[in-house]
Amino acid sequence: MFVTFNGKKFPVAEGRTVLEAARDNGLFIPSLCYHPKTGPAGKCRACVVEIEGMRGLQTSCTIPAKDGMAVTTNSPKVLAAQRLVVDLMLSSGQHDCLSCEQNGSCELQNAAYFLGIERPSFRVDSEPDFDESSEFIYRDHEKCIQCGRCVAGCNNTVVNEVLDFGWRGHNTKVICDDDLPMGTSSCVQCGECVQLCPTGSIIDKRSRGQARSWEVEKVETVCPYCGVGCRIALHVDRKTNRIVRATGVEDAPTNQGMLCVKGRFAFDFVASTERLTTPLIRENGNFREASWEEAYSLISSKLGEIKTKHGADSIGGFCSAKCTNEENYLFQKFMRAVIGTNNVDHCARL
Amino acid sequence: MLSDSLIKKLEDAAGKYPCRKSALLPALEMAQAANGNLLDRGDVAEVAQQLGTTTSQAWGVATYYTMFNTSPVGKWHLQVDTNVPGMLAGADAIVDRIRKRLGIEPGQTTPDGMFTLSIVEDLGSCGTCPVIQVNDTYYENMTPAKVDRLLESLKGGVMPPRRDAGAWGSECGILLKNRGNRKARSIKGYKAGGGYAALEKARGMNPGDIVEMVKQATVKGRGGAGFPAGMKWGFLPKDDPRPVYLICNADEGEPGTFKDRQIMEYDPHLLIEGIAIAARAIKAAKAFIYIRGEFGWIADILDKAVAEAGKAGLLRECGIVVHRGAGSYECGEETALIESLEGKRGVPRIKPPFPANVGLYGCPTIVNNVETLAVIPFIVQNGAEAFKAIGSPANFGPKLFGVSGHVNRPGVYEYPLGTPLMEIIEAAGGVKGNLKGVIVGGLSVPILTADEAKSLKMDFDSCAAAGTMLGSGGVMVINDSASIPKIALRAIRFYAHESCGQCTPCREGSAVIARLLGGLVRGTGTTKDIDTVLHMCDTIMGTTLCPTGDAFSMPIRAMVRKFRSEFEALVK
Amino acid sequence: MAGLAASFGSGAMTNDIAGIKNADVILVIGSDTTSAHPVIAARIKQAVRFGKTKLIVIDPKKIRLADYATIYAAQRCGTDVAVLNGIMHVIIKNNWHDAAYVEERCEGFEDLKKEVEKYTPGYVEKISGIPAAQIEEIAELFGKAPTAALFYAMGITQHTTGVDNVWSTANLQMLCGNLGKSGGGVNPLRGQSNVQGACDMGGLPNVFPAYQKVDDPAIREKFENAWKVKLPEKPGLTVTTMIQAAHEGKIKAFYIMGENPMISDPDLTHAEESLKHVDFIVVQDMFLTETAALADVVLPATAYAEKEGTFSNTERRVQLLKKAVEPPAGTRHDWEIIRDLAGSMGAAGWDYSRSEDILRELVTLAPSYGGITYERLGRNGLHWPCPTKEHPGTPVLHVGKFSRGKGLMKAIPFKEPAELPDAEYPLIMSSGRVLEQFHTGTMSRKTEGLNRLAGPMVMMSVEDAEALGIANSEKVRVTTRRGSIVTNAFVTKRIGRGTIFLPFHYAEAPANRLTIAALDPVAKIPEYKVCAARIDKI
Repeated sequence: MFVTFNGKKFPVAEGRTVLEAARDNGLFIPSLCYHPKTGPAGKCRACVVEIEGMRGLQTSCTIPAKDGMAVTTNSPKVLAAQRLVVDLMLSSGQHDCLSCEQNGSCELQNAAYFLGIERPSFRVDSEPDFDESSEFIYRDHEKCIQCGRCVAGCNNTVVNEVLDFGWRGHNTKVICDDDLPMGTSSCVQCGECVQLCPTGSIIDKRSRGQARSWEVEKVETVCPYCGVGCRIALHVDRKTNRIVRATGVEDAPTNQGMLCVKGRFAFDFVASTERLTTPLIRENGNFREASWEEAYSLISSKLGEIKTKHGADSIGGFCSAKCTNEENYLFQKFMRAVIGTNNVDHCARL
Repeated sequence: MLSDSLIKKLEDAAGKYPCRKSALLPALEMAQAANGNLLDRGDVAEVAQQLGTTTSQAWGVATYYTMFNTSPVGKWHLQVDTNVPGMLAGADAIVDRIRKRLGIEPGQTTPDGMFTLSIVEDLGSCGTCPVIQVNDTYYENMTPAKVDRLLESLKGGVMPPRRDAGAWGSECGILLKNRGNRKARSIKGYKAGGGYAALEKARGMNPGDIVEMVKQATVKGRGGAGFPAGMKWGFLPKDDPRPVYLICNADEGEPGTFKDRQIMEYDPHLLIEGIAIAARAIKAAKAFIYIRGEFGWIADILDKAVAEAGKAGLLRECGIVVHRGAGSYECGEETALIESLEGKRGVPRIKPPFPANVGLYGCPTIVNNVETLAVIPFIVQNGAEAFKAIGSPANFGPKLFGVSGHVNRPGVYEYPLGTPLMEIIEAAGGVKGNLKGVIVGGLSVPILTADEAKSLKMDFDSCAAAGTMLGSGGVMVINDSASIPKIALRAIRFYAHESCGQCTPCREGSAVIARLLGGLVRGTGTTKDIDTVLHMCDTIMGTTLCPTGDAFSMPIRAMVRKFRSEFEALVK
Repeated sequence: MAGLAASFGSGAMTNDIAGIKNADVILVIGSDTTSAHPVIAARIKQAVRFGKTKLIVIDPKKIRLADYATIYAAQRCGTDVAVLNGIMHVIIKNNWHDAAYVEERCEGFEDLKKEVEKYTPGYVEKISGIPAAQIEEIAELFGKAPTAALFYAMGITQHTTGVDNVWSTANLQMLCGNLGKSGGGVNPLRGQSNVQGACDMGGLPNVFPAYQKVDDPAIREKFENAWKVKLPEKPGLTVTTMIQAAHEGKIKAFYIMGENPMISDPDLTHAEESLKHVDFIVVQDMFLTETAALADVVLPATAYAEKEGTFSNTERRVQLLKKAVEPPAGTRHDWEIIRDLAGSMGAAGWDYSRSEDILRELVTLAPSYGGITYERLGRNGLHWPCPTKEHPGTPVLHVGKFSRGKGLMKAIPFKEPAELPDAEYPLIMSSGRVLEQFHTGTMSRKTEGLNRLAGPMVMMSVEDAEALGIANSEKVRVTTRRGSIVTNAFVTKRIGRGTIFLPFHYAEAPANRLTIAALDPVAKIPEYKVCAARIDKI
């Protein structure tokens, strides 16, 4: 089917909303509360458009696209409404981009850029209002636009049921349990809210100041912890060769973007200063550094010796539930084909 | 810790609803009452667990509704309604008197913990304001002298009895036919006047035929939107396996409106009869009366009447649950009301789907206003033609008009639709002083200048033609002693306070307009601010999730446009 | 896995994660899912809150998932067979089982029926402590469900009756006809990123890759031809028996890749003695672990984020790892190290230049991986069995028929755990994981925030704490016949009187100093979940 946007026809798949149809075709309509996972909310009102045959403005995130539909996204009326909505968001709270972690990947910033809003029109000074009580999650209430994606994610996706809206009107605020600091609430710090927040209101506390969003490269791989096999994107700063943050891969069939506190935040071990970087050989009870060649030759001679003296079955090998299939395959091949024993196992049972 | 007896009460409440979570508002109210008018955090968490909801949702609900106190209040919580009708009737002087007498500002509690003073929004007492709600009890028609006596009595630990108050008149004798008849409040008295005969007749009719009859009568909804009730009923899906629910919207909260309470307080069985007939027509599995929480004593009257009707076997087809709100204007919007009835924050849903298809608990639901349901017995009893004989073309039937503000006899007057506005104002004793303007349909409709009001007929179409709306029929009369900018400021502060907070233009827009108008009234505003307000109103119109954005941009815009010179005069 | 392999012919999670929402009922037994498999727990919670699914949780601890359950029952540790037999007793008595399915697809029903006959709810209550009425309720909810899924983890397997427990779960699911359809299945949740893959790859003493038996001559011949070498005939020893054999002097050398038995093995005092008996130990790891500290040679390996390769997750989905960062200078990939060592020991043909070369070889030998290439895995991976290049993968096993033909139902009598509480050690001690730490802590404990969130502790009931005069967070001594550690008391209503729980992640307070090395006779899995213990106030 086809939908006309601003007079031009575009192909659209069945079952898409007007907003999705626009995005599928590379057209930008500002929108803050919609996320493919949490679905249309119709709340932020930034995505309003005009649709032929429908009265007034319509939120493009809630209207199903229909064949032959004619949508206007750039009329003065539409742009005035979008501009006011985004201006009001920018005017409420304190949206200072300079050292915001989300700078460059902020959906509010993108909307402001698209609409050409240089500075908020209705800004009044406000007191800083943040919550850094949580180990891994930093919340800046002044950057919250009440889109509700975190609340939807917490309750409907990870179903941890910690976040909700409290109070009302201009005082509306995302609360943890009965408005506790996040760190003392029942939050398990899965970070789904961090992943869904369109602004810099809920962010990975420890990634602050590590690297600008445009400086990192995202590499998709698999989480190293439990057996669920969550797909995880590691955000790598190439200059420093460091992982600066991790996010769940949204369309992954295993985890739908979800991660747990370990998968999302516990990648420190990779860059740990405790990493071993040279082979060690025990000598007189203590370790000394050695070259790979020396280590290999010691191992092969010792294992060869023991095999000759006590038989292959006097050697045991533990492969690893944390290594790859290829490594485990090679390990058991080594034990069976090179050493000559079936004494190979790993901690599946432990 | 909730006591065992409280848990039992809570369980009884939960048992009344198809879904336990619906009991959250009543349960929080009980927990608050049992804890000295304060919600304890631990209690809220326990209530949440008991009802199978989350702590954050329960706390979100507790902080959403104004009747829940999450911080301590004094033994006597003095709540003064200073909304526009109150303001016109001198509520600010009442606040001043209390401030002086107790030495506290609004929001404060006396050091001895005896009194807390709060400014609150419309209490549905526009014809009898100024009103002070002390804890749960209304004291109406207050004067500074009466305030002194009230405070003395409260200091002595005695709550004076509340008095029935308010003027009324009835040209039609349908909706207010029992207004002066105390006996009609009991089922016996109501039946003696011919009550429940219509239900009897309806029971002999096919549900479809009742729907048809109401369709024929063309009952435009009396809550404000004016959508024909019969047509609404017709939207229910056919042959749907889900239960159908009927909700009577008794969350009367539109400033200027105080009509539904007249029916519920003085003729509860009329409403119950109307609900029972409507429930039969739409084959409802259960009916709810969602009454605003401040009308606690009226809810008690309804509870008693429902029990009587149940005992008399009149509610066998469909039981009625009286559900108390907890302080939120927004819950008058039907989808917000449904959310609230489900035990959630009163935030509107996106439409479509409409409640007739996906409403309460995801089931087909009809929401009708009290007054709408209360005319159903007349229609069933006398036929659609008799109903259509009342009123003006395409605007049929009797209508309650609440007249407040600068008139000599504020009150509720029942007139046929299409009656000239001035005739109704005359019935209310006429204008006090020189007429400046009239808001004819509750605070959300555009104001009319005295000229525009002169020849207006009070029906849906005539009001629309005059650039305003009949709305709920709450007529606020304004004389030339009043400042329109101050009224506009008070109005926008109300909407900003009541904005549910979920959509941006309403949440932030109302706050910004309030700030700009506040600046103008304080004398720090500019001409540009006036234009900004107009631009914002123009842009917010049609941009919000629910009609509340329109509900404040229309009246504010009209006040600024029609009385611009008054605003400009404030620019220094 | 031995139990599942014997009953169905294949030992792995039978169903996929995406199918969780299709279950009418989910029974979670012996899995603290929100702690150990948080994202699968999320899927279960989604199904319960927003779908048709009803949840039953059976666990000695009132785990977080129990808050979402229609029925939560607390059994005494180690009585799972009795509980499952009791549920089956009620189901059979009321004819809630799928008789046609059992008739067509299973064998051994009469034996099973006869065995469970004596497990009346009353009898099971006496053994397990679960009220008889609750057994009836569970049986009714589960038995009447059109499709029910069963999930378990180490709470089922880490017992001297681990294989019996697993077999019982299989019995129940065969009885109710819940295998071979979406939303059903017997679903063991695998605890580590590639534990499934390590098993699939033949990292087990009795099988080559893809569970091909080492004592099957035809299979062996296939591998001998491929690897061009003569292969040993006799199945080898498991981790636990190797440790024992080392103690007895029969194992002289260990080669350990990325494992840390000095935290993960039961009865660590004994395990340490065993390792110290050994002449030569090689450990390759990222860190100088507690095990590496005992080694003769330690080789620095790379981390997951530094390499390419594949992991197979708990639902048998093979997924591709991508290299994100450069490994530290001086480290080598585990596969490179093994390749080089094989070369230096004179092996020929080990000329793999990248991980993918290894996969290309292994898919020719492991039929269930036969159709897998890096290119095909793409972003979403493939479920094995995936025997050919055209095969789309197999999210649900045993559709139509079991891998072994007919599903084998077996009579399983209840047996008590190896060590029961007595006057001297009056408490039942169980061990396991917490959300914020992982396994031996080698990876997770490098993140300080996690250590602040979750340190060593012993979870104990309010009643026991009161009886001993112990306050929350107080330092206490936990003692068993194997040893003693000092840790912090965590007093909670979530655990019943008489039972204590210790997470095993902590080197400074290792729960495995306390655990018993009693093994399941078949699977050789230690009874981490039950031993007798004592708590003393310090």
